[in-house]
Amino acid sequence: MVEITVKVVGQRTRRLKVDPGTTIAELLRRVGQNRETVVVRLNGRIVAEEERLKEGDLIEVIPVVTGG
Amino acid sequence: MLRCSFCGRRAVYHRRYAGVFLCDRCLIKSVERRFRRAINENKLILPGERVAVAVSGGKDSVACMHLLHDYCRGKRCELVAITIDEGIKGYRDESLPIARENAEMLGVEHHVVSFREAFGATLDEMVKVAAQRSTGLNPCTYCGVLRRSLLNQAARELGADRLATGHNLDDETQAIMLNYIRADLSRLYRLGPGYSPRQGFVPRIKPLREIPEKEVALFALLKGIKVHLAVCPYASGIHMEVRDFLNSLESNHPNSKFMILRMFDEIKPHLEAAVPGFEARGCESCGEPTSSTLCKSCELLQGLGLMRRRKNLIFVEPS
Ligand SMILES: [Zn+2]
Ligand SMILES: [Zn+2]
Repeated sequence: MVEITVKVVGQRTRRLKVDPGTTIAELLRRVGQNRETVVVRLNGRIVAEEERLKEGDLIEVIPVVTGG
Repeated sequence: MLRCSFCGRRAVYHRRYAGVFLCDRCLIKSVERRFRRAINENKLILPGERVAVAVSGGKDSVACMHLLHDYCRGKRCELVAITIDEGIKGYRDESLPIARENAEMLGVEHHVVSFREAFGATLDEMVKVAAQRSTGLNPCTYCGVLRRSLLNQAARELGADRLATGHNLDDETQAIMLNYIRADLSRLYRLGPGYSPRQGFVPRIKPLREIPEKEVALFALLKGIKVHLAVCPYASGIHMEVRDFLNSLESNHPNSKFMILRMFDEIKPHLEAAVPGFEARGCESCGEPTSSTLCKSCELLQGLGLMRRRKNLIFVEPS
């Protein structure tokens, strides 16, 4: 397992343990976020959700769906 | 590291419905291309026209203004921005300065029109009265109808040939589904890239209609455009349920939103015969165009004990 930090804008920062090679898409499902509604920064850079996670990664999840 | 399918640079987005990865540059270019194509293919704007854009400060409308600014420069078009201040505390008061800042930065003439000056009350106040009077109508109904009407009046007074809004693919498919659910054929028929051959209405255009919401957000973030990313405090109910439904559909079955849009666009020409004709006349209370004696805005306002003032919204200072 590797440890990562997840910051969903507007929520408390969490530290999570995931299997190495877990994708951001899988992580989003785990934290209850729909990939269609967020933009993800991995260590400060916007990335595609198929990017894989490694020890110490910082994942920022920015909800961008604002319409109603 | 995942790479762009077109140029090999670092990917920022997996466009699953097309099976490609895009880098920042290719994503921005793609959004710009789709925007221009939507305008050109549907003849949304003709050279030399005066275009009004509704700008709330949110990512869609701000991105739309930036894209239109570029487009208009090349087509000798004039661009003017309108912000409707509905009076939503903690929301619109935060997005409005962002709308203004972006307009100033681009050098776009900007006008703010408020519910308070036009209707004598803010949306927050209307929502309170609606609850007291148990009108059974939700805030989005008041906000939607009244905002559209003010935008139209302001755009008309500004002499605009078109009124552009930032509606994206998600907004449009949500509206299609909502009108199905409500069995509202007339409103369904009014959807599309551009609409309104009717007197007194400035033709409305939606140049972002074929761009998914997430791509509009990426465009704004990657270009470093300052936008307001908050959810309206009144967003709730069936709108949100439909939106969530479409997003879960899309995440499990990429391309669903486009398919809903394509199907609607194919059906639309066949709807004309089924939709009653529209005969525009002036609302007996406010004078704005409507098909009945009283326009929808005035009907809603009457229910709240309010009245729309018959007056100009736009004041241009003598130079
Ligand atoms: Zn590229
Ligand atoms: Zn009226």
